[in-house]
Amino acid sequence: MVNINKIRLNKIGLELFLSPLESDVIGILFGKKEAKVREIHNILKRKKKVALTSVAVILDRLYKKDLVKRKVENGRGGIHYIYSTSESKINIEKSIIESSINKLIDVFGSSAVNYFDERFSKRGDKK
Amino acid sequence: MIEKIGCYIGLILDPQKIILSLISLSISFFTLLLLKKTGVSTKLKISLIYAHLTSLVFPFVLFGTHVGCGIACMPCYNNVLSLVSYALPTTLFISTISSFFVVPSLYIITNKKRIIKSGHLYRFIKKYSEKMKISEPKIYVIDKAEPIAFSFRTFKSAIFLSVGVLDILKDREIECVALHELSHLKEKSSITKISLSMLKLFSPFSLISGFNIDSTDEEKKADNFVLKEQKTKKYLILTKKRFQQFKCYKK
Repeated sequence: MVNINKIRLNKIGLELFLSPLESDVIGILFGKKEAKVREIHNILKRKKKVALTSVAVILDRLYKKDLVKRKVENGRGGIHYIYSTSESKINIEKSIIESSINKLIDVFGSSAVNYFDERFSKRGDKK
Repeated sequence: MIEKIGCYIGLILDPQKIILSLISLSISFFTLLLLKKTGVSTKLKISLIYAHLTSLVFPFVLFGTHVGCGIACMPCYNNVLSLVSYALPTTLFISTISSFFVVPSLYIITNKKRIIKSGHLYRFIKKYSEKMKISEPKIYVIDKAEPIAFSFRTFKSAIFLSVGVLDILKDREIECVALHELSHLKEKSSITKISLSMLKLFSPFSLISGFNIDSTDEEKKADNFVLKEQKTKKYLILTKKRFQQFKCYKK
């Protein structure tokens, strides 16, 4: 399961849970199967001014949140990390939802459980 | 039985052993004070660190030897000279083995790493170690995104670079890091760093006093060597900037 620490209620999409740069980086990784730090930086710098070091930090942060995985590859350009998303986009979204709901239940306990129960039973009644 | 218990607590009761332990701890404290002085040469720094650690460990080894002698019913438990003749070499042995073998080996064993045996960086380090007349170090790449670079020179020289270094630096900047570490190996300043980490790990005195050795001189020397070889400041400045940026962004 992914590690989510913040929810930004004023944002949309993945930015609800990730910083703008984090969601840009993971967006690029969803489009590519796997990529090096430098490759992601090359794509991103066409869109916005960003340092290579920032991209490396963001990728490390996403790795620690279990949103991306990495392997060390010894290629022609020497040893580098190759990053890829840990799951498909849908599975990551599911994982973020699960992680957020678990957090809400941890914090609010039975109040959260009762709320979800009422909310989903109402939806069931409407159907 | 009573006599044996007497043997065990003898260290606490015997004034000679108490004095020996106190002298040892005083030496330990005194060496730490000397280390705090600036302008101490590298060799003296290393000697002082080990003198500090040895004198700090000595009372414990003395106690251990005393208990050992008691268990084995050897006459040494009530003979201070005999006890010291066992305890002192044991202390020196423990200090030397742990600093020159155990700590570096533990670092190598516990970190995920790869050895570089080919490519540009390998050839570059090989060429420079020949030029500098030092034994060719092994190059380890450790599995960390944070840019880290350091070197060991104990039984065998080794340079450690993290994958992060190779990810965020360009070739000339990586060369700059390699030259910096090669200079540390040549100047034997890596031994000071290992010794310093030993001191921070094992000496409660250093924790209490917030002890920190100023390694600016060694770092300056290594940077000057890079400037001399690369004949430009550009890559050194860029490298430092990228290391710093990573730390800042991480926060």
